[in-house]
Amino acid sequence: MTTAVATRPAGRVSPSRRRPHTASSRRRLAPYAFVFPFVALFVAFSVYPMLFTLQLSFTDWRGSGAAHWVGLGNYTYLLQNPAFWSSLGNSAAMWALIVPVQMVLALAIAVLLDNAKTRMRSFYRVAFLVPFVTPLVAVAQIWVVVFDQKYGAVNSVLNAVGLPDVGWLVTSQWAKPTLALLFLWKTTGFIVIILLSGLQAIDPAVYEASSIDGASRLRQLRSMTIPLVRRTLLFSVVLQTLAIFQMFAEPFVVTQGGPYSSTTTAGLYLYNHITRADLGTGAANSFLLVIIVTVLSLGFVRLLRSED
Amino acid sequence: MTRTRLTLTSVVTQVFLVLLTLLFLAPVVWAFLSAFKPANQIISDPLGFDPSQITLDNFERMFQDVPIVRGFVNTGIVLVLKGGLTLFFAPLAAYGFAKYEFPFKDLLFGTVLITLMLPTIVLIIPLLLEMKELGWVNTYQALILPGAIDAFAIFWMRQVIAAVPDELLDAARVDGCSEFGIFARIVLPVIKPALAGLAVLTVMNIYNDFVWPVVIASSERMSTLQVVLSSLAQNITGNRIGADYATVTGELLAAASIALVPLLLIFIVLQKHFINGILAGSVKG
Amino acid sequence: MHQLHTGSRRSHRAAAMLVGTVLATSALAACGPSITTGDATPSADADVLVAPTAESPSGEITIWDRSGDLFNVFDSVIADFNAKYPDITVHHEAIDIDAKLQNTLITGTDVPDGVFLDDAKVAGFSEYLWNLDGVLEPYLGDISEQKVGVNSLDGGIYGVPFDSDPGLLYYNATALEAAGVDATAIETYDDLLEAARQYQAAVPGAQPIHLEQSPFLGQLQLEMYASQLGTSLADDNGELRLDSPEYEQILTWLDTVQKEGLGTRAEYLSPSDIAPLESGQQVFYPWAIWFSFAPQQLLPETTGDWKAMPLPAWEDGGARSGAMGGSSFVLPKQGENSDLAWLFYEFLMFDEAGYTAVWGPNDVYPDGLNTSIPSFVPAADPAKPLFGPVEALGGQDLWATATEASTEIPVGTPIPTWWTGAVDYLGNNIQRMLDGQLTPAEVIDQSTQDIQANLVDRQ
Repeated sequence: MTTAVATRPAGRVSPSRRRPHTASSRRRLAPYAFVFPFVALFVAFSVYPMLFTLQLSFTDWRGSGAAHWVGLGNYTYLLQNPAFWSSLGNSAAMWALIVPVQMVLALAIAVLLDNAKTRMRSFYRVAFLVPFVTPLVAVAQIWVVVFDQKYGAVNSVLNAVGLPDVGWLVTSQWAKPTLALLFLWKTTGFIVIILLSGLQAIDPAVYEASSIDGASRLRQLRSMTIPLVRRTLLFSVVLQTLAIFQMFAEPFVVTQGGPYSSTTTAGLYLYNHITRADLGTGAANSFLLVIIVTVLSLGFVRLLRSED
Repeated sequence: MTRTRLTLTSVVTQVFLVLLTLLFLAPVVWAFLSAFKPANQIISDPLGFDPSQITLDNFERMFQDVPIVRGFVNTGIVLVLKGGLTLFFAPLAAYGFAKYEFPFKDLLFGTVLITLMLPTIVLIIPLLLEMKELGWVNTYQALILPGAIDAFAIFWMRQVIAAVPDELLDAARVDGCSEFGIFARIVLPVIKPALAGLAVLTVMNIYNDFVWPVVIASSERMSTLQVVLSSLAQNITGNRIGADYATVTGELLAAASIALVPLLLIFIVLQKHFINGILAGSVKG
Repeated sequence: MHQLHTGSRRSHRAAAMLVGTVLATSALAACGPSITTGDATPSADADVLVAPTAESPSGEITIWDRSGDLFNVFDSVIADFNAKYPDITVHHEAIDIDAKLQNTLITGTDVPDGVFLDDAKVAGFSEYLWNLDGVLEPYLGDISEQKVGVNSLDGGIYGVPFDSDPGLLYYNATALEAAGVDATAIETYDDLLEAARQYQAAVPGAQPIHLEQSPFLGQLQLEMYASQLGTSLADDNGELRLDSPEYEQILTWLDTVQKEGLGTRAEYLSPSDIAPLESGQQVFYPWAIWFSFAPQQLLPETTGDWKAMPLPAWEDGGARSGAMGGSSFVLPKQGENSDLAWLFYEFLMFDEAGYTAVWGPNDVYPDGLNTSIPSFVPAADPAKPLFGPVEALGGQDLWATATEASTEIPVGTPIPTWWTGAVDYLGNNIQRMLDGQLTPAEVIDQSTQDIQANLVDRQ
């Protein structure tokens, strides 16, 4: 519709002079049209179900028959239930196990892959991203076999170097790290790419200047690289924090939340109400999570802002 | 002196990277090779591999038992339509957020951010009931519309479009370009690399999504690839009671190996675009 | 002007869409459950399935099964079914039933006509299922009482009983003989302990008895032991009855096995389980009949060495078997042709041509399906085996052993809807006991409290 206008440079003065009003009203209306498709879907498939969840959370509905109003009953049941708190604790523990390790590891790989002297860089980029594209349900099976206490490959290696067996998936102290490893394995490649993008945005001149100063590689890394990719790092942390808080599929397929509920994450705990058709409690649980996530995310938004 | 140190560093670097690569690839290679082993040996001798015993049994059984071809077709349909929606409307909305001022903009964008943080399962049951009221259970629109135009895409694209200089847009405006024309002719070409990155990421997300499809596509006719895979995976737990979980494990690994191939190919072919796209679209250091 | 026009047309369209969305949303506000304060009592008669009366009924049915061996077995029986009912088309689908059934029933869309379901899950779905009281009536007297029991609830019966899964004591006969232990003399669980001690003395390092490490299967096995004693987690009225001398006896026995170092603690047929089975360190496996799969498929070293006998009794003269697991077929009320699906299951379970095809030799199981036996007693005749002798069990006639054992199983009670949920408490606490952290009495106390508060009281 604008073809004619755009290919008519000679005539550009007159129409734009003739239509200042139309152009500006169009400009006023345009953003509404642009965000509308998104807002429509958003209202229909996010806002509406959320309101519905809110309503459900005050009932004892079990998926069929009549629902009874139970007031805040579901909320008090959850808030007084140690299992609810331990599901949050498990998610927090997963965060602590994953995020620091992943950031260090991903940054190390990214720095190496950013270095033009490293060979086969594009091969490595692909190799590290392969786990990211592997279907999780298959990976879970692999984890079960590889981390078997007595006959898994991992313990065989440990034995070979004289270390004792570890009950990876069968003890409550090791099950979390084992799941954390799965998460690390699956997502580190993606974080590497994100960090790499931050690194490549650094002006090479900065490094050249410091090389002339005779700064060692390690010092360069600490005093220049890290501060310069700080925002990218923070972005990755936020991304992973959200992913870990929502983590559900990994424990669901590998440990079913065990042993002793030690891997029942916040997401899995919520899911368990749903599978037991306890939809009212599930809804209340959802809302408690929404509140927590909102607070967390407001905190992060503030953190990101303060970095500006 | 500098030279030897450099070589030493690069050797250490290579060893570190090679070891890591082995760790990253080993599980996938294991799954791939195991799919060609007799099913009972996957359980009884998980680490052994006897080339003389290579068999296609797992694949044959899998093709017989589960509608994997149907799964590929459905995933393909959803991929094209849902991916198309996201790739067109997310940048469009992002453009609205990045380059215009309008009332409640910040509030709206704030809500977008919050959706980004919501666990998917929070909305599953209400969405399911909504689909029931709409009569959309077991339909493509139910697989496609919820979650299309996702919040992360908007968040990311807004970041990218914000970096497009306003002068460029104003110049086009002076040229008489309509507001949509500016988006289509100026913004889209400029953000093409980031869009390529978004495309690959969107494809991966849609391809691997399984929670919502499992819930909403109950009939075989509507099963996506991940639904087929998860039905096999679930049956491993189930079949521990029904006894033959070795067979199902074999079928699962066969299905997973096949499912991995298209994505891996897409990824290898498009990896430059993907990586450059993420590079182009990321938050600047 | 032209451009203004397109612009306004776009916003017009946008406005139309907005109106559409608002309409859709307000229509949706009416959806979901109606919240009431009273209890609606459904009329009982409307829920009882009636068999079709037509001479040759016609229509299409959709049947859900889990993928795997049974799917293939049932699939091959469809042709036989069509020989009898040529006008019924069967759509047979391999489905992730655990993930899908509940959602499908809630939405009521594309509901299958018949579904294969674990016995433990039948009661949970009963509101959505046909009461099969009427159609099953001619057969009830001939179905194993235990299976009728687990499928019954409040006077209705909600599943067509499929298999019977008697518990048996699997033992490595060759290894035990070599160690000079006479397994055939075992009659009680005390005898089993004694035999295990003897074996351990002869084979140092052996941990002869299997102790289940999966909380779910551990609880299932506990119910097998309890079934022998005629009890179960819940009574006929759904009241919890874990706090009983029977459970105390069983848990104490398991605790003894653990404390004396007589048990191999591993998840069922995981690598940690298979290796000691193969090396002759784990030689006693009190489990449901379906363990028979292991010597046939997963234990190449010791296949042929294994044998099965009835379980030991908890006291002299007590029942020598209990039920562990098992499945049935349920018929959702929302299914379009449930009455035709009933004909399918009737054929499969109660027609000689049907059950012979299910358990007899077929493409999937050349010797017959020997991981369970029919729950329809006339089909489970010890003298008329449907599946042949099992090579992996040294040519033993497993059919005779299992069918005889199944007659020992005491009457069952309905499995409560919260049974699976109880694994988080009871299943886990059994494992804590085997870890040495809890005593049997503590397992009973804590589990009773938690199950009551979190499951029974929240129904």
